[in-house]
Amino acid sequence: MSKCELAEMSTAKEQPGPSKPSGSAQEEKERDERMFECNICLDTAKDAVVSMCGHLFCWPCLYQWLETRPARQLCPVCKAAISKEKVIPLYGRGITKQEDPRNNVPPRPAGQRSEPEANAGFSGFGFGEGGFHMSFGIGAFPFGFFTSTFNFGETRPGAAPRGSPQFLEEQFLSKVFLWVALVFICWLVMA
Amino acid sequence: MANIAAQRIKREFKEVIKSEEVAKCAIKVELVNDSFTELKGEIAGPPDTPYEGGNFVLEIKVPETYPFNPPKVRFITKIWHPNISSVTGAICLDILKDQWAAAMTLRTVLLSLQALLSAAEPDDPQDAVVAKQYKEQPEMFRQTAKHWTSVYAGGPAKMSDLDDKIRRLTDMGIEEHNARVALSSYNWDLERATEQLFMTVMAKN
Repeated sequence: MSKCELAEMSTAKEQPGPSKPSGSAQEEKERDERMFECNICLDTAKDAVVSMCGHLFCWPCLYQWLETRPARQLCPVCKAAISKEKVIPLYGRGITKQEDPRNNVPPRPAGQRSEPEANAGFSGFGFGEGGFHMSFGIGAFPFGFFTSTFNFGETRPGAAPRGSPQFLEEQFLSKVFLWVALVFICWLVMA
Repeated sequence: MANIAAQRIKREFKEVIKSEEVAKCAIKVELVNDSFTELKGEIAGPPDTPYEGGNFVLEIKVPETYPFNPPKVRFITKIWHPNISSVTGAICLDILKDQWAAAMTLRTVLLSLQALLSAAEPDDPQDAVVAKQYKEQPEMFRQTAKHWTSVYAGGPAKMSDLDDKIRRLTDMGIEEHNARVALSSYNWDLERATEQLFMTVMAKN
């Protein structure tokens, strides 16, 4: 206890010292640096990733933690459920270093990047934004005519950009309809 | 891998020394060897508990796989507590087992142990005898824990009635600590403690 009392006295002495402002500035700097420390190795995060609960880690550190307890994948800080797939890499402006080959760690998951939504309308057939459509059907001809003719104000949604999931889906759907049409025609011919 | 463990302990060590708990004398960490694999911890008995005024020394062994696995901690100072073995000092605390998380540090471990001293978990005991006393005779438990604190951890309380009972047994040639354990285990019933002590002596012979 006596040692502690001494320690307390010495800290009490230091506090009102003249070097207080520089000390607090240094403290602030230290705090800033600590904000970017990995929660596992306590060093500045390398190959930084952030969990969905917002905690920062080195990717190799987090990977090793998840490998240590595959059955209990919890955030080391707040014990929220986490998974390897659901971490976000942080790309700063610094040089991206080569990964240490000794760490047999798979590459850090890539960020998910989605294209911004296309706003430009489809301007097909030179009719401009108005979208003039005509169709002639047999069946319920007059009604079909009305519904297809009086839709001047509406704009058709633009085609999905190439490579996006929506584009692939549309391609797939158009193939399906093509096959349905072919089967229908075959059936008509046979009948 | 051992490198990560040593690096981290070094950082933690620096941090814990600067922490306000150390300034308040609530916790303390010391190095035992240069390789940072073994440390000595110390926690102060929390106020308003039978452990108040005592200083409890801990053995901390840092595994190669730290911080992915918890440090191995046990009490060196003898203590009367439901979740700590009165014989070996082994601790039953979830964060030192399956509830460990890699972001925990020496500081948080020591503070958790201090919290364990204020809030025992008698339903998840390490020492069944102590836990039974804690549940069935809380006042007796408090007295015993206070007595152990004063004898082994430098606590302030002097309990002459308990000391007298121990002296009665030591006068019969029984080692003091054994006498204390027997009396504590039998709720300070001198007859039953004596009986039990001589039974074990006879069994050994």
